[in-house]
Amino acid sequence: MSQSTLIRRLSRRETHSARSALSIVSGAVLLILILWLVVELVLSMTGNAPLTLSPAELAERTAALATDTLPAALWGAAAVLVLLGLVLVSAAILPGRKSRHVLANPRSAVVVDSQVLAGAISRIARNAAGLAPEQVTSSVGRKRVHVVLDPASGRAVDTEAVRAAVQKHTSGYELRRPLAVSVTNAQDTAVGA
Amino acid sequence: MNSTHRGLNRALLGVLGVLLLAAGALAAVAGTSRGFALAWTRTGTRVWARIQEELGAARILESDVSWWTAAVVALLLTLGALLVWWIASQGSGRSNQLARTEAPDGATAVDANVADQAVKAALAANAAVLYASAQSWRVRSSHGETGLKLTIQARTGASPTELMDAVGQVVDGLDGLLGIQLPVLVRITAGTRAKFSRTMRVA
Repeated sequence: MSQSTLIRRLSRRETHSARSALSIVSGAVLLILILWLVVELVLSMTGNAPLTLSPAELAERTAALATDTLPAALWGAAAVLVLLGLVLVSAAILPGRKSRHVLANPRSAVVVDSQVLAGAISRIARNAAGLAPEQVTSSVGRKRVHVVLDPASGRAVDTEAVRAAVQKHTSGYELRRPLAVSVTNAQDTAVGA
Repeated sequence: MNSTHRGLNRALLGVLGVLLLAAGALAAVAGTSRGFALAWTRTGTRVWARIQEELGAARILESDVSWWTAAVVALLLTLGALLVWWIASQGSGRSNQLARTEAPDGATAVDANVADQAVKAALAANAAVLYASAQSWRVRSSHGETGLKLTIQARTGASPTELMDAVGQVVDGLDGLLGIQLPVLVRITAGTRAKFSRTMRVA
């Protein structure tokens, strides 16, 4: 495997979910079910009393399940089963992207939390606008970054200058997927401003 | 960087999901249509009677137990063992050895701690880094079997470019120290420490 292929593979794995948690939970539930079945089978083979339900009784009840159960209960069970099924199928199909970004680098695969980028962008924005740390909020998405400035009332802030400063810095990050920058002034949208 | 079988995870979750959806659909139809419910019970009872016949025909040494039951227990135990393997394989692939060279008069092994200590020492004085660590993982590549993962916890507001420059120097230093270029993954994170420490005001 060449270095660039390996870097791409490592970056991809680091920015997408492995579905480990859901796999562990599903595996554990299935394991408990299987162990219970084995215990019941062994108990019935050795002629002991069942823990909850003997295998023969379980088979009989499953065979007659549709007529022995109230339609409303069947509906309830169907709703729960379909919901769980949808969760698992969507986990299998959806990409499961994490809120992380890849920095282009020839030597290493570099993956940065979006939160780290947001922190850096906030610092740039508040230096450009001359504001305190609490007055700037940034959120970094997959394709865009949004900066909200909240200056003291009556103080003018040049949002275009802030946008240009943030743009200049983010283009220097060499992000694999460039971010579109938008800056808004919270005072412009405040009631009674 | 771990060697979790991601495709397998998704495939198994997908199969389980489709099975649950199918069971849900069956229950829904049985709850709506009385005719389907009756057919279910009729078929079910017939199949169960057939199974009991087969069970009776294959008894182990005149006992009440059928060979089929024993086979089902064995199958379930195998499935259980596979499930344990599936669960245990999540997040696996850590290794303690960074590199190893064989020579006629002996072998040299480099422990993963060497990289960890080197990275910690190199970044200790960096104000933008709250915590740094290195861990080696099994990775298939042209340079052998090991890859290195550097985890850097950044102070809020730290510039990613400057962090990357600092980490790049550390990686170059390690390359020189080890004499080989291991595959490297750098993770710059905003962990819990970043929430409780001061913000970078200048950089």
